[in-house]
Amino acid sequence: MLATLVSATLLGLEGRPIRVEVDVASGLPGFTIVGLADAALRESRERVRGAVRNAGFVFPARRITVNLSPADLPKAGASVDLAIAVGMLMGSEQFRPAPGRIALIGELGLGGDVRRVPGLLPMLASLASHGIHRAIVPADSLLEANLVRSIESIGCRTLDEAVGQLRARRRASPTAPARVALADAAIAADPLGAAAVGSIGTGGRSREAATPDISEVRGQAEARRALEIGLSGGHGIIFIGPPGGGKTLLARTIPGLVPALGDDAALAATIVASASGEGPIVGLVRTPPFRAPHHTSSYAAMVGGGPGLAPGEVTRADNGTLFLDELPEFDRDVLEALRQPLEDGRVTIARAARSVTFPASFQLVAAMNPCRCGNAGVRKCECPRGAPDRYMNRISGPLRDRIDIWVWMPGISAASIVNGIEPESSRVVAARIAAARKIQTDRSSGLLNARVTGHALREICGLGRVERIRAIALADGERMSGRGTDRLLRVARTIADLEGASRVQVVHLEEAARWRAPATRSPLALAG
Amino acid sequence: MTPAAPGDRVARDDRVAAANRDALAVLVSVDGVGPATLESLLATIGSAADVLRVAAGPNGAASLGAANRDAAPDGVRVTRATLDRIVEAARSADTILSGMRAGGVHVLAMEDAAYPARLRTIEMPPRVLFVRGADAALEADDAIAVVGTRRPTDLGRRSSSRIGAALARAGALVVSGLALGIDGAAHAAAVEAGGTTVAVIGGGHGRLVPVAHDRLAAVIVDHGGAVISEHAPDTKPTRGTFPRRNRIISGLVDAVIVVEAGVRSGALLTAAWALEQGRECFLVPGSIEAPESAGCLAWLRDYGGVARIVAGVPQLLEDLGLAATAAFASAPERGAEPDHGHRARPGLRPPRHDLFGPSVEAVAMDLPAREASLVRALATGATTTDELAAVTRLPIGAVLAGLTVLEGRGVVTSTYGRYAFGINGPSIAPG
Repeated sequence: MLATLVSATLLGLEGRPIRVEVDVASGLPGFTIVGLADAALRESRERVRGAVRNAGFVFPARRITVNLSPADLPKAGASVDLAIAVGMLMGSEQFRPAPGRIALIGELGLGGDVRRVPGLLPMLASLASHGIHRAIVPADSLLEANLVRSIESIGCRTLDEAVGQLRARRRASPTAPARVALADAAIAADPLGAAAVGSIGTGGRSREAATPDISEVRGQAEARRALEIGLSGGHGIIFIGPPGGGKTLLARTIPGLVPALGDDAALAATIVASASGEGPIVGLVRTPPFRAPHHTSSYAAMVGGGPGLAPGEVTRADNGTLFLDELPEFDRDVLEALRQPLEDGRVTIARAARSVTFPASFQLVAAMNPCRCGNAGVRKCECPRGAPDRYMNRISGPLRDRIDIWVWMPGISAASIVNGIEPESSRVVAARIAAARKIQTDRSSGLLNARVTGHALREICGLGRVERIRAIALADGERMSGRGTDRLLRVARTIADLEGASRVQVVHLEEAARWRAPATRSPLALAG
Repeated sequence: MTPAAPGDRVARDDRVAAANRDALAVLVSVDGVGPATLESLLATIGSAADVLRVAAGPNGAASLGAANRDAAPDGVRVTRATLDRIVEAARSADTILSGMRAGGVHVLAMEDAAYPARLRTIEMPPRVLFVRGADAALEADDAIAVVGTRRPTDLGRRSSSRIGAALARAGALVVSGLALGIDGAAHAAAVEAGGTTVAVIGGGHGRLVPVAHDRLAAVIVDHGGAVISEHAPDTKPTRGTFPRRNRIISGLVDAVIVVEAGVRSGALLTAAWALEQGRECFLVPGSIEAPESAGCLAWLRDYGGVARIVAGVPQLLEDLGLAATAAFASAPERGAEPDHGHRARPGLRPPRHDLFGPSVEAVAMDLPAREASLVRALATGATTTDELAAVTRLPIGAVLAGLTVLEGRGVVTSTYGRYAFGINGPSIAPG
């Protein structure tokens, strides 16, 4: 007998509805799955076999054929396990469901338990757009499923429970809390604004628990200032200094400094988190992501790819921060791959069969030692002659152009730790950043200064005659390129915004000039 | 080529000189033709143009070999392999020359008027110089070399910059070897100060080392200076070419200044050449604990009579006879300067204040309040922005803006996020 059910699979960041047809016919006993299933899905046979038996049903000793449609769409992952098992029980007439279309999404364990799958949120969203209104989902993921308002989701812990639901066609699962619409969820999840962000990270282990407060960074007032400016204007930042100077610690304070995500950004971030299989999702992800891939990361890990065209680190950092520690140690290919996302805010992965485009709009924060041995500027550098320059040159010109703020961090002296002024807390700095961002987005229709170019940039700077002459002197005298001049103006604009100044003044330009890229300095800087 | 008008001897002489210059350049480009081979060929056959003419003729290699064997005085004979290569070069002379010109390199022969006069006076001057940049740069009323280690201390680098800038401002040509460290700092400071500088490199122009100084070389040429070599553009620099190069550095100048040199530093070789060629030699002393200064100190001890000490930048200029031309941008009026704590002792002449650069206060006086307080803070030994902010009590943004202004004026320099007084800074070292 033939049973037809609806499930879904994940392709990149998008869900795709799948029609699951299970035919249980007489003949030599066997179990075949057709329809471009990947390795995880082919192994579904063994999971379904175990789950059916251990849940107290009978695995029919007949010829079972599962067809996953559309036939030409490659299907990945274990999200159709539950649909296959239920289809087989229906096909072998072990139970008869109540009428009504209902989608089934979930992975099966051998004991018949229904487990979480990555990408539930986009899968349900795609089902909703195809006119499906009810779904059985893993009970663990019910909060995630409830973010999709137009689908009534029923959480099930076991195959047995799912069968019970289908039989009874009860209106709502006893385990389901009151449904929350997506828009409501946004408000409900964040009633107190940014202050409440900590309570709705992904999962019980709040990410904020691991975020150090910026007041823990002793000394390095210049670097703290640079970070504040960079985060305010969305400028790419690089910290250059010897090991132990606080570069990494400083970067790790970022999640505590940036404002919580707005509704659209939060939904996008939640979809990425869901598709990446990041822990249980209990509500919209309001904390901007902070990704710190290791410098051994592969091209596919950074950009995305693999059989399921999974999103990479640049996409997982969308709307948040991508922190690249030890920047020159990354593979050249990996660094060059950052150019498109830094330019366009998205990344295209092209394969022979198809290409996908993922969002990848992130704040770049990098850190590096001044040379390979890390001693330059502190102790005697042990690198071979000329090596420090070559180390710096591993960062290609186009990537340099995307970094607005270059901060040299000398090692900190004991005196500056003990005598230094007590640094401000993250809360104080975050408030200033949020205010400066609001000024920018109000002025440039949602854009931060780092994204403003050309004519619009000069317009928002509002340079007077004196400022114009000073800007030319700072840019020209230092043999800056056109891009270099733009970078100077952008950073100066952000400094002015932090002060609430309507026009860029000379002092803002002069401060911004301190963080110019190293190659644009005077001939003195050319002497090795 | 059109035949010369009768009586137009000057034009013909020019053409002969040009042909000879080109021929020399081609000969020197041949692998295996070193100074000894070149001299042997010229002594036995005639001018460089003659050599190429014979080589290009029928049975070129054999004719050259015969002429060389018959007339070679004391057995310096050119090998057959080299002769073959000369014949080959004679045939492709035009390609070799046009390649050279395409690289922006031209040739200067010893017979040319523009050949530096000082260099003519040394023993075995290079017959040809390959020049990138202006010939005019090679000749100056005052020419001083600044050389030293490739791995200087921060203070050594600073001394090199200050000396290079002071010499340039005094109108002297600054000559060095384009190496990393002291050499590069001197070149860069001379350019920065608006002066002219010449780099003598140890290999061919096409094999510029260090690669890291590619842009510095271009900047030197762009600012009216020159990069020169006695080697053809394709010559690879080797262990042997650098010591030979050093004799040209000292040959081009009136005096050599060694800023920092370890005991085995090549900079001391330049100093040795200088003494041999009758040039003056100055050494910057350093701490007896610093290996970077060990070579300078050893020389000051061993050659006390001839090697002179650099006691300060103004003193150096005075010793070089450049003090009259040197102008301090903000030199204080005599008597207006506060005492630095020097006490006149019986029998000891107190140092003359105007020989030191401007004092901290003199520099600070010319600056706006923000920058002035930063200069004072630097003088107390603060080097990082943290320390400067703590001492001046300025907000960090003001510290950064002020440092931009000071760096633009050359009062401070920065490396790796640490600040120090620059070439226009006060003469008293911080701390």
